[in-house]
Amino acid sequence: MTNALAGLRTTRRRFIKGTGAAIAASAAGNLCFPALAQAQEITIISNLSNVGQRDILHRLAAEYEAKSGAKVTINNMDHEAHKTAIRSYLVVGAPDICFWFSGNRMKAFVNKGLFDDISDLFARENYKNVLGATTNAVTVGDKQYGLPMGGLLWGLFYRKDVFAEHNWTPPKTWTDFLAFGEAAKSASMIPMSIGTKELWPAGGWFDHMNLRINGLDKHIALMDGKVQYTDPMLTPIFDKWNDLIKAGFFSPNHSSFGWEQAGAALAQKKAAMMDLGGFVRSAFSEADIPQLAYAPFPELVPGVARYEDFSVNSVHVPANAKNKQGARDFLAYFYKPENLGAFLAAEGAIPPRNDCPPSKDPLVNAAVEELKKVVGTSQYYDRDTDPDMAQEGMTGLQEFMVKPERRDQILERLEKTRKRIFG
Amino acid sequence: MHRFWRRNRHWLTPTLFLLPGLILFSMVILAASAETVWISLHEWDGIGAKTWVGLANYAELADDPQFYVSLKNNIIWLLIFMLAPPMGLALALIVNQQIRGMRILKSLFFVPLVLATVTVGVVFGWVYDPTYGLLQLIFGLFGATAPALLSDENFATFAVAAAALWPQIAFCMVLFLAGLNNLNEDLIGAGRVDGARGWRMLRHVVLPQLSQVGFIAIAVTVIGALRSFDMVAVMTTGGPYGSSTVLAYQMYEESIFSYRFGYGAAIATVLFVIMISFIAWYLHGLIKAERSNA
Repeated sequence: MTNALAGLRTTRRRFIKGTGAAIAASAAGNLCFPALAQAQEITIISNLSNVGQRDILHRLAAEYEAKSGAKVTINNMDHEAHKTAIRSYLVVGAPDICFWFSGNRMKAFVNKGLFDDISDLFARENYKNVLGATTNAVTVGDKQYGLPMGGLLWGLFYRKDVFAEHNWTPPKTWTDFLAFGEAAKSASMIPMSIGTKELWPAGGWFDHMNLRINGLDKHIALMDGKVQYTDPMLTPIFDKWNDLIKAGFFSPNHSSFGWEQAGAALAQKKAAMMDLGGFVRSAFSEADIPQLAYAPFPELVPGVARYEDFSVNSVHVPANAKNKQGARDFLAYFYKPENLGAFLAAEGAIPPRNDCPPSKDPLVNAAVEELKKVVGTSQYYDRDTDPDMAQEGMTGLQEFMVKPERRDQILERLEKTRKRIFG
Repeated sequence: MHRFWRRNRHWLTPTLFLLPGLILFSMVILAASAETVWISLHEWDGIGAKTWVGLANYAELADDPQFYVSLKNNIIWLLIFMLAPPMGLALALIVNQQIRGMRILKSLFFVPLVLATVTVGVVFGWVYDPTYGLLQLIFGLFGATAPALLSDENFATFAVAAAALWPQIAFCMVLFLAGLNNLNEDLIGAGRVDGARGWRMLRHVVLPQLSQVGFIAIAVTVIGALRSFDMVAVMTTGGPYGSSTVLAYQMYEESIFSYRFGYGAAIATVLFVIMISFIAWYLHGLIKAERSNA
């Protein structure tokens, strides 16, 4: 029995190896490339869905080739497919550079020894001086395992013209917030547009409430599984959230659609505000984008310092990469302020370096200004906690938004999951 | 060589013909199934080391409320799908007449079978949309508001299974149409001489000849209901809050999103056992029918 199964496992391993080789070969692009030249070859797997960003990456690669004589091959993958593929290619047939997300999602691979420690690159290029707090997003135990890419500042977005028409200002306190909701409803608008089909918008809402009520440290402790989901510190969050649900703050039937449809409701003036990252702009037409504005999530408990969700994408060197030195040299070129700035401008993301040229996008500039007032940042519910916990947690939060009366059952279920995962 | 071939070809020929299929079957189906069972006895995140946990995954499954929701939904799917064979038969009888324009009608009924299930799911998602969907337009005509089917834990599974039923009916219709073309003309003539027409002709002459086709239609429908996955993934992603998941989707979610391959494999194994019992029952029936015919 054991023998037969062992046999099966080797064939499977061989099969994966074969697949890995195939991926590597396709990444190499040119099978008949001479073996000697491959020492100077850098392979990149990208998951960029933004065409503008892809073009800039290809342009930078071509420029780097001309400058250094190395060959840079870029293999583009579908964003969602990449999330599953990375797990196998990091083990067998890793490229020299790959795109991923910082925070807990990065830590999962770092703990398995699949990402290379690039602290030497940080020291060589003096990145710590220009990066500031974002360094934390790629740091595990004082070592850096990736370069932070564009960041997304989360908050409440609204239309300037709608607010001007009704003489509204973004709510600053809990009382403001409730009054604003009533005002929006009497203007027959949905106060808060949200679509929870993809679950994570409900997670983001929870983040905001928790950061405003309990602050960053307690929030992170919860994300790390050190606080029980039945802990009394969470009671005010769900009380207040329940008030909002009961007051009809959120889009009806929000579990049947995703963020894009919710964003469209904001663009079409059917909803007053929406809690999302800057990419909500993609739900707006080109002509409407100048109307889009950002406001921070209101203060809920006076005296709690301002913390925000600021999720950072990142780029990494896999531990199994063949050309780690080449990868570092290319990354240093790619990460120059002007190159990185152009790459991030295409997405409308906030540059992690403070010496990038100023953006032409007022929304990005506004977010950069806001970020200076922020005392500390977390990533996002599904990036800060264990993926298994995140899946259960976001499902539970979605359920709470639809059936708030099940709060106790939901929290007990989450606590059971937390105990299983974090012990 | 030639003599060797000649002496042994009575077994060599079938072996050579069967070999490619056998190799594929044992690699893709048997080995994969065996490994799934093996993985289900471990705790494994898909990358790192596997930890032997014995039957712990199954014990947890027995205690997991989500598992029973999925199982219940699979049964709902099965019951709804059981409408497909009779409805397919009814449609086949209607479109199997020699009337002008029937070919166009036939192809219209055939269309959902040509569409990818994912397409059907996306389109029905629009139909069910509570604000702009076709359903709301119809309800709006009567001044009513359509229920948000996909957001309601009580309706979501029914709505998704109903959407999936559409292509399944078309599939059964095609099976029965093929069956109707193979009817024995002599028997029908004899029935007519004896004065059978309409319902009695159908009941006593046509249907008995379709029993084999009917058997296949039911079998394919049951398996179709049990392996349902794509429609759930496209239309609700198992939501709201997991109320419309089925076993196949729960397995996918546990393995891919929660990185619990062992637990996912345990769900897959349960689904496998359900399917294999059904297939055994089906084969048993098939063999019995063949024997009684011979």
